[in-house]
Amino acid sequence: MATSDDKNLAFRATLARGLVSRRSLMAGAGGLGLAALTGCGIQGRNPGGGTAATTPVAKAAEDRSATEKIINWSNWPEYIDVDDKTQRHPSLDTFTKRYGIKVNYTEDYNDNDEFYAKVRPLLAANKDTGRDTWCSTDWMVARLIRQGYVQKLTLANIPNHANIEDSLVTVEFDPGRLYSMPWQSGFAGIAYNPKATGGKKVTTVDQLLTDPALKGKVTLLTEMRDTVGLVMLAMGKDITDFTDADFMAAIDEIKKAKDAGQIKGFTGNEYGKPLSSGDTAACFAWTGDVVQLQADNPSLGYSLPPTGCTLWSDNFVIPALAQHKANAEKLINYYYEPEVMAKVVDYVNYISPVRGTKAILERIDPDVANNPLIVPNAKTLSMAHVFRGLTSAEETKYSQAFSELTAG
Amino acid sequence: MATGGMTEDLRLVGISKQFETFTAVHPMDLEVPGGSFFALLGPSGCGKTTTLRMVAGLEEPTGGRILIGEKDITSTKAYQRNVNTVFQSYALFPHMTILDNVAFGLKRRGVKGANAAAQEALDLVQLSQVAGKKPAQLSGGMQQRVALARAIVNRPDVLLLDEPLGALDLKLRRQMQIELKRIQSEVGLTFIHVTHDQEEAMTMADSIAVMNGGRIEQLADPATLYERPASTFVANFLGQSNLLQARINGFGADGVALAQTHGQDVLVAGDNVPDGIQDVWIGVRPEKLRLGEAGRNRLDGVVTDASFTGVATQYLIRMPWGFEVMLVQQNDGSARAQVGENVVVSWDPGHEFVLDQHQAGDAGVGLGDD
Amino acid sequence: MPYALLAPGLLWLIIFFVAPMITTLSTSLQEGNVDDGFVFTGNVAIYWDALHAYWPQLVRSLVYAGTATVLSLLLGYPLAYYIASRRGRAKNVLLVLVIAPFFTSFLIRTMAWQSILASDGGLLVKVLGWLHLTWLFDAFGNVLQFLHLSPNGEILYSPWAVIWGLTYNFLPFMILPLYTSLDRLDGRLLEAARDLYATPRDTFRFVTWPMSLPGVVSGTLLTFIPAAGDYINSRLLGNTQTVMIGQVIDSQFLRVLDYPLASALSFVLLVLILALVTIYVRKAGTEELV
Repeated sequence: MATSDDKNLAFRATLARGLVSRRSLMAGAGGLGLAALTGCGIQGRNPGGGTAATTPVAKAAEDRSATEKIINWSNWPEYIDVDDKTQRHPSLDTFTKRYGIKVNYTEDYNDNDEFYAKVRPLLAANKDTGRDTWCSTDWMVARLIRQGYVQKLTLANIPNHANIEDSLVTVEFDPGRLYSMPWQSGFAGIAYNPKATGGKKVTTVDQLLTDPALKGKVTLLTEMRDTVGLVMLAMGKDITDFTDADFMAAIDEIKKAKDAGQIKGFTGNEYGKPLSSGDTAACFAWTGDVVQLQADNPSLGYSLPPTGCTLWSDNFVIPALAQHKANAEKLINYYYEPEVMAKVVDYVNYISPVRGTKAILERIDPDVANNPLIVPNAKTLSMAHVFRGLTSAEETKYSQAFSELTAG
Repeated sequence: MATGGMTEDLRLVGISKQFETFTAVHPMDLEVPGGSFFALLGPSGCGKTTTLRMVAGLEEPTGGRILIGEKDITSTKAYQRNVNTVFQSYALFPHMTILDNVAFGLKRRGVKGANAAAQEALDLVQLSQVAGKKPAQLSGGMQQRVALARAIVNRPDVLLLDEPLGALDLKLRRQMQIELKRIQSEVGLTFIHVTHDQEEAMTMADSIAVMNGGRIEQLADPATLYERPASTFVANFLGQSNLLQARINGFGADGVALAQTHGQDVLVAGDNVPDGIQDVWIGVRPEKLRLGEAGRNRLDGVVTDASFTGVATQYLIRMPWGFEVMLVQQNDGSARAQVGENVVVSWDPGHEFVLDQHQAGDAGVGLGDD
Repeated sequence: MPYALLAPGLLWLIIFFVAPMITTLSTSLQEGNVDDGFVFTGNVAIYWDALHAYWPQLVRSLVYAGTATVLSLLLGYPLAYYIASRRGRAKNVLLVLVIAPFFTSFLIRTMAWQSILASDGGLLVKVLGWLHLTWLFDAFGNVLQFLHLSPNGEILYSPWAVIWGLTYNFLPFMILPLYTSLDRLDGRLLEAARDLYATPRDTFRFVTWPMSLPGVVSGTLLTFIPAAGDYINSRLLGNTQTVMIGQVIDSQFLRVLDYPLASALSFVLLVLILALVTIYVRKAGTEELV
């Protein structure tokens, strides 16, 4: 899913059936694994101080795809089509039927950082993670590529590679999409509850950060790239090309609002419940979540700020030493058939990365096809921007500054 | 410890205690003279401890009143009563020193010089050297004396002792009995001593109330209780009794009554016979019976058992109708009988007590033993 | 060799306490980043930096945890006393009720308080609404604001809500040891106290309380220690001004990937708690207790 901070699997497993029909209404809090501060002398990917310019290459394992007809796929909770009766995933069943490959689908990707903390020690020690593919958010993909933890895709195995939306091909962190293929995309924008804003619409970032009517009832995202990105955009900066000073100016802007008591807190995607109840009047939010929230509470409003919004994707990657790389590529290829992707999008309500999905949605579910948050038009897309990739030094510096803001 | 001046009487008027499923104490009256050493004696479950707890205020009476002097304390709380208890378990506060334990009551009442008084009380029980120790470091006998000091230091109107010697071994118990008596006479407080040990009660108490089944069977001084028990229960509970089933046939000129037991004529003192009763138990204590024809009442029998205890010899002698009497012969040089020997058992009229035969002859048998 | 019997315990201690502690300490003295690796440089300045940057969160954590501990004691003591005074079935039922919250996840229990305390459509405000007592809810919020326990009169997302969440979540850890020591308390001692002129208040003060001190000490430790390191409550029930040290460590470790700083903060927290516990146990003088 989106760059959600916190989703706790155990929590979701408890609530999922019945209470939450689809992904993400109330997320667990967590980042639960402060999994003991282990790690003596933490090894980097290129110890000895190799420069970031010489990107290490991920090791490939001997591919057992031909003999072992399985794929191990880790994904975010409730991020795929579900048959409400059988609780099975029809698209996966079809895949298995067609190719004879069994998919071990595990919803254990709750949080980019947490997942990274879980697999990094294995990857750093050149061990198999037991997974053939998973879906990481853009910036995490950038990190994984930079650290040589993911393998290049064999594009020959993915003829549907050509179906990728043009806007998603040229990304800075993976030019030409050699390592990653988007699974779903979404925007970060502003959601509000008119009941709590006194009927007021909240349309701009400025209003969110300064309108006294919202004082103490605003939440921002713990996801740095969305929160700082939206604010930088509102300050007229280009988030695909900015300087330290731009970033820090945005941090100052948020700090000002925080010190003024405008901001109640920083959340993962657990903003949904307080927003629905009105405890939160307005917040930064992700499109897919809001579409779901609106199903229960149609009065909720959503704005993509005129100054621009952030666009993110969660992307298939194949980790180093994956045992069934060819099978995983077959799976990616399968989901890049518009017919297949349309069914997934119809269920999860995020934005499809596959060209041709729209036409099929118009046929099978016109409501979804006409929702600009799910099938955005060209104008909307032109307002959406992707946060530029960060160097390792920048990432440390920025996340430190952002952390001081959120945890300070 | 100086005596507390005027010590007032304790009176229980129609006091009773009903628990959910049974009656522990039937309505009863009791008067304990100030400054006396009083014992409540009875087998377990007779209601003596419940009575004591009602006096202490730890149990609320179902009916009746409790008075100390003229003051009605029935509705006052335990901590408002000038009554203290020495508990069977001692109930010393384990987290406090011995001195703090003893000074506890005085301090709660805000008495000045509590520690000095406590030290004095410890002197009285000869334990001043352990004032700084914790209860767990003391032996059972020492703890018992601390419990006593902790109670008497408050100079209560009434001091209640709930089987205080029950946990001690026999030798220590004898020693403490004497010690308790000494202390009581020294401090002059009213002591109410609850016990199931008849010997203990008789040794120590000025007067004893024998309780059975939630009622007082008899209240008297130890000698009267022993010599003139008012019921077969008391007769059997206090010491040994030979109870002969008999019928009063008439009264003679010299103040004696004629009775017949199992076809044998015996004489009893007329004053001992309750009015208007013909079928009686004639009770004779073993030490009142003699071997030989020295007494006026004579019965033939066969010795079935003889045991020599040093100061005396105890015989069991079977009567012709099968009943065995117990006879204790002092070791005063008189001839001893052998098992199997035919003997005459005799006693003088007036050495007996006479009870209504409507009571069971074996009431209280065996209950007085430890 | 009686010392051989200590071996399993010592081993356990070495593996699960000493070794992680040394690892944490050594990680805190490394420098580097996740791309190039971390190298031990003996950079003790990190402790100064960590304390300098995050002392408010550290102090706040101790204050919140301390307040929650005191509240737990005030709430838990009467409850433990009551349970200990019950007999048979009632007692068992009550004990099960005390631990019943453990049957659900910590997270859900904490989120439940979001639903309860929410000012709009929360359970509390609804119930008060049915009773026509909505003003109580607002009044409580105003009192909190007056006491600086809420920035804007909101009950949820306030320091009070965080402290309350900590209190609620760790209350069973307070009640159980208290119950154990109160249950062991000999009723005859209480009778002896009453008999010796102690009013109910005196009896509590001079007998019940001192005799339950071992339970009080273990209960407060079991409450305070995890509460001081907790970060779920402040994250879910707090606002930007209620951040506790656990949140900082979490964020440094998982998000910033500054392992040395995260380790340094963890170590500081560990040492602080150890120091406080030592002082506290000395003061409480548990070795004097029976």
